[in-house]
Amino acid sequence: MTIAPNTTSPQSPEDFVAEPGFAAVSRETRVAPPRYRNEIGKFVVPRPDACGQCGRCGAHGVHVRPWRYNLIIRPFEYRCIGPDCKTSGRYCVGACPNKALSVTLNPVFETIGDFRWTPDLIVSTWKMAETGQLPPSFLESETGNSGGGFDRLRFRFPAAPPKDLRREDISTKLLLNRRDDGREKVTIDVPWYGGGMSFGSTNIHALLAKVRAGKAWNTFSCTGEGGYPQRFIPYADHMIVQVATGLFGVREETIQRAKIVEFKYAQGAKPGLGGHLLGSKNTPSVAAMRETVPGVSLFSPFPFHSVYSVEDHKKHLDWIAHVNPRALLSAKVSTPTDVDMVAVGAYYAGAHIVHTDGSYGGTGAAPNVAKKNIAMPIEYGIGKVHQFLVNEGVRDKVTLIASGGVRTPADIAKAIALGADGIVTGTAELVAIGCIRCTACESGRGCARGIATTDTELLELVTIDWATQRLVNLYSAWREGLIDILYRLGLDSVSALRGRTDLLMHLDYEGSDGAA
Amino acid sequence: MIRHLPTMDELDERIRSLTAARAGFRPEGDWARVSPEAEGGCGVTGFACTIPVGGKHIYEPSIQMRNRGNGKGGGIAACGLVPQDMGVSRQILDEDYILQIALLDPKVKGEVEKKFIEPFFEIHAAMLVDTVDDHRDVELLEVRPPDIARYFVRVKNDVLDRFAKEKHLAILDRRELEDEFVFQNSIALNGEFYASLGEKRAFVVSHARNLIIMKVVGFAEACVQYYKMADTRAHVWIAHQRYPTRGRVWHPGGAHPFIGMNEALVHNGDFANYHSVCEYLAQRNLFPQFLTDTEVSIFLFDLLHRTYNYPLEYIIEAIAPTTELDFDRLPDARRAVYGQIQNAHIHAAPDGPWFFIIARSLVERGAFQLLGITDTAMLRPQVFALQEGKDVSIALVCSEKQAIDATLASLASEDARFTPVADMYWNARGGSHSDGGAFLMTVEPTDGPAVVPAAGRRYELKVTNKFGQSVSTPPGQVHCDLSAAPKAVANSNGDESAIRGLIESGNAGAFFGYLRDHVPEMSFDRLRRFVDRLADEAVAGAPAAGIEALTLCMDRRYPSGDKKRSSVLTILRTGVEKIFSAQPLWDAAGNGHAFARATWDVRGSLRGPQGQETSLLIDARRFQPEGPDCDATLAVKAYQLGWRHMIHYNSRGTRFHGAGYGAGTTGLRIDCYDNPGDYLASGMDGLEIVVHGNAQDQLCQIAKSGRCIIHGDVGQTFLYGAKGGEIYVLGNAAGRPMINAVGRPRVVINGTALDFLAESFMAGDPLAGGGFAIVNGLHCQADGKVVPLELPYPGSNLLSLASGGAIYVRDPHKTLVTEQLNGAIFRKLSAADWKLIHPYLLENERLFGIDVERDLLTVDGVRREPAQVYTKVMPPSNEDPEVEDELEGLGG
Repeated sequence: MTIAPNTTSPQSPEDFVAEPGFAAVSRETRVAPPRYRNEIGKFVVPRPDACGQCGRCGAHGVHVRPWRYNLIIRPFEYRCIGPDCKTSGRYCVGACPNKALSVTLNPVFETIGDFRWTPDLIVSTWKMAETGQLPPSFLESETGNSGGGFDRLRFRFPAAPPKDLRREDISTKLLLNRRDDGREKVTIDVPWYGGGMSFGSTNIHALLAKVRAGKAWNTFSCTGEGGYPQRFIPYADHMIVQVATGLFGVREETIQRAKIVEFKYAQGAKPGLGGHLLGSKNTPSVAAMRETVPGVSLFSPFPFHSVYSVEDHKKHLDWIAHVNPRALLSAKVSTPTDVDMVAVGAYYAGAHIVHTDGSYGGTGAAPNVAKKNIAMPIEYGIGKVHQFLVNEGVRDKVTLIASGGVRTPADIAKAIALGADGIVTGTAELVAIGCIRCTACESGRGCARGIATTDTELLELVTIDWATQRLVNLYSAWREGLIDILYRLGLDSVSALRGRTDLLMHLDYEGSDGAA
Repeated sequence: MIRHLPTMDELDERIRSLTAARAGFRPEGDWARVSPEAEGGCGVTGFACTIPVGGKHIYEPSIQMRNRGNGKGGGIAACGLVPQDMGVSRQILDEDYILQIALLDPKVKGEVEKKFIEPFFEIHAAMLVDTVDDHRDVELLEVRPPDIARYFVRVKNDVLDRFAKEKHLAILDRRELEDEFVFQNSIALNGEFYASLGEKRAFVVSHARNLIIMKVVGFAEACVQYYKMADTRAHVWIAHQRYPTRGRVWHPGGAHPFIGMNEALVHNGDFANYHSVCEYLAQRNLFPQFLTDTEVSIFLFDLLHRTYNYPLEYIIEAIAPTTELDFDRLPDARRAVYGQIQNAHIHAAPDGPWFFIIARSLVERGAFQLLGITDTAMLRPQVFALQEGKDVSIALVCSEKQAIDATLASLASEDARFTPVADMYWNARGGSHSDGGAFLMTVEPTDGPAVVPAAGRRYELKVTNKFGQSVSTPPGQVHCDLSAAPKAVANSNGDESAIRGLIESGNAGAFFGYLRDHVPEMSFDRLRRFVDRLADEAVAGAPAAGIEALTLCMDRRYPSGDKKRSSVLTILRTGVEKIFSAQPLWDAAGNGHAFARATWDVRGSLRGPQGQETSLLIDARRFQPEGPDCDATLAVKAYQLGWRHMIHYNSRGTRFHGAGYGAGTTGLRIDCYDNPGDYLASGMDGLEIVVHGNAQDQLCQIAKSGRCIIHGDVGQTFLYGAKGGEIYVLGNAAGRPMINAVGRPRVVINGTALDFLAESFMAGDPLAGGGFAIVNGLHCQADGKVVPLELPYPGSNLLSLASGGAIYVRDPHKTLVTEQLNGAIFRKLSAADWKLIHPYLLENERLFGIDVERDLLTVDGVRREPAQVYTKVMPPSNEDPEVEDELEGLGG
């Protein structure tokens, strides 16, 4: 079955009381096609007048003649798999008796994305979100084109995996609380959770979809710093509450609701800056949630005004622990050159999770000079922190989470092999629900896909059920991809991969033999 | 000795020759690429006293600040020592350098002596500092501290001659030359035995005259225990709890204090420009050996002091420059000099959060000095305090107030000349034209620096700010000797009927009126008897009325005649304590009282209120400052069991009172006595909390609703990110109050705020339900007089970058200027504004006795209209056409 693009969605907690089924989510994959008939695909298949309407061009649902139609309708070009189709025996170009059809690269395809998020990566993420399967091979779905970082790292796979390892026995579970402090031993089923995006930065439907997918996969999403809309409450067990420098919407009751509280000290995309919500996104409903004046740009300060040192930081964590003694505490920091010291300081102050956010992370709005130019790339940060924690003898007491430019299952595996326990995803989730990386997030009505917006009309471009399914599918495909890698490496769990830099090679220093 | 003022040429030669003399210090390798040791802020404390007191008195405040360190570095310094405690003669103590070397490798002693001590120094005494047998006997001391070799030395004459000649230091007098030799010798010793990146076998802990430093890998108080200094006396003590981020520390080389020449420095904070300051010092041939910003700080201080020969005021200016509007407000002459100092030294000024406490041995004057300097932005907490008595006086400085009170309590328990409460407490305003952000507490011999003083030399304490303006308590008042029982006094019918009236009617206001009117004429003995009698009667008949009445008498200011207010407060507090401690413990069943009392020992008997019980007293002694064993945690559990009135007392910085109760707590009341700690009322949503005294930092963060009343000052980042609530502050708010507040907080500050008041305030339109603050700019003197401050708001960045809310400033003389704003605008107070704020001022009058007509609207004896007295500061108007356009595009 496919998900209809419009179903009624719960709007308030009362709706959930009336219809408990609304909060129910499933991790079952179901096809969730794009919202647009002519989604951007890699290829174009023009159908010229020479077409004889013979109907022999039937593969992959590109060419469709609906029942009782005389003519084949305009091709669904985004479904085309390109020249790979030649070997399928149903290649439309070859099958066309009139030689009318041709397949060429879609010029629009080439305009989306950037070096890190290449068009191939964007479209392969869409495919995973649509189908729940790993993307087709005509797309380069593992690496981007940045020329560094994850894009130059490869796994050294053994020639054959051990015979006694079965794919279904491989564990992707991740323990988030490694302190023996009586707090819940929270374990998530996949080694990732959703990153913080505020109500204000992102469409509430997208935020709800994120947390619903988190619930489906027994993991988490995060509020960001825009407050805690009532509609999140049914998913409270899967919603991390963020305490960020603006303290917008942070209240005792929201802290007490959380299983995990995240302190956002810094963001990798813009260290040294707090959150930016430009005036045009600060609509009356956003302003009401933050208790501010509508239409005014909201700049969160940097850093916390109450935290200028590590003992302030400890006191800060103690405060939240006082308000909610059950919650796990996560300290999100960027990757300055002394990120190792910051991380170990966070651990000693009582954090369960140290979350380092590297420079490739997303941000809706920040001065261009800050984006991507300040923090260290995450792949350096992970190794530095991991090694330091190992040397300190506390590595197994704390969960190290990395984020900032993790796009694919391969990236997740590489981050873990470098020393992280798990990752946080943000941008990939937005891509899954249709983001084309046009980077106009800061503008109120600028998001062509209705994702990074609070505009009441644009909100309706994304529906909750559809977006939820897209994310459930993405998570499912990612997990498959991760298991593939673990299987080929002969490892029976994600945790066995942690810190296994011996399984990695960097193409700048080694040849591509044995490369993934 | 008094030197003539140096000419510019002499100064120039001095700087050149001293710099050149240190040319050999440059270490090999790429020193500039070495990162400093990571450490965060810490806890710092210090005091200067007219009599020498034992090290045990630095012990208590250190324990109070344990949670500002992590037990991986602590240290103390003692200055103004006593000859017999040190085992040397007065002359040796006054004239010799006390060279102390930490022997990280016990075998290295002979080698060090042979190379760096015996050839150069005449040794008048030498010893290994005595320690306890086993360091594990000292609480929380996991790493064995190094043995300390101590030498009382003078530099040999011929060595000094040679040194002067080789280093071309003819410009220095003989003592300065000797200082420089000692200084250079220590650097050379450290260079050889303590390579920052290599082997570490020994280092110089201190080499000053009449000043010693001790440090350990542990908490500061362990120094006192391990090195057996509990009874070692000194005039000035400082201590530091360090919080190094790295976990494994095996030696105390990086712990504070660090030694300059004759001064020891402790530091709370973290420079943002460590490398820049290092570069500046390197250009002057000074290179860090321990790689901490503290070491760099003392190098800088010493450079400005001995090389540049600056007076202290200029040293402070070079380190903490006066900026912005404060610079403009300096007198012309000072501005000219400061401008030059800033031009010359701005690259060396530490940037970022820092607070220094420095102990100085002013050997030439035979004086000892304690110095507290805060950074320009006041990013670290700091409290100063002063107690001036007939026989002894003491000045204190600390990160948190409870450490000051712990020091005084420790002293008072041993010596009746001290009282457990200081006469005054205040904060410095960093980089300001008003106090300069620094205070000097100097203990001077009253009879001048005699060469060899007779036993029992007397000292006096002088406290001044950076500019030399004196800080002192009201003259003609005395402390009460609380160690002696009060003498019998004739029965006073008035006193008795006031007590009876209170017990019968419960009218605390009437009782307060009686006490206020009669305190000036009362003797201490009568006051003590009066309060004691009241407490007895209250215990027997009306504890609630007794507590309320005595508390009101503590909260309010009124003339106290010849009696120090601190003593009056102590007496009243003793009465309150008597009532508190007479209430039944909550493990006693079926009592029918209004109060139940929880203490550490019976904390496990947690239960809900029974029978007539309404109020829960929580004696905070022995509770932890945070975590599951914090009394604030116990109070939250008690609330869940049905208690709706908590009284926390004997708090020593225990945190989070009024926090953690969750949403919708209307009907809950909390009273806090003594020293409640940080984050008080943070997140409050409905409850009412009253602080009977000063409050600390991070108050009312994210507060949502409810009331918070503070009968004193509040610390930093008050109301950060608050959403609502009604808050009344009798005194001042320190730096950065109300930042990022939204919604509808409504705040009355009767004093002032130091800086950045209501930055990024977003609290809507106050006339349409939004938030505001009223700043009255007044000082409620100890004698009850309410006097306007020189400036109602002296700082800058008032309502900076705000988009909502307003500040109403009582500014009848129109002192506020546009330069103090950053985006905000001034508006005349409208009738609607007055209608809005008037009820809050009336409530303020009810709470604090600050009369709207008499104290607020009367200016220089003339009754004025509200619009003539108050100025409204508000964000640029919402009717601004640009904003309007933006709003139109929102579509909803």
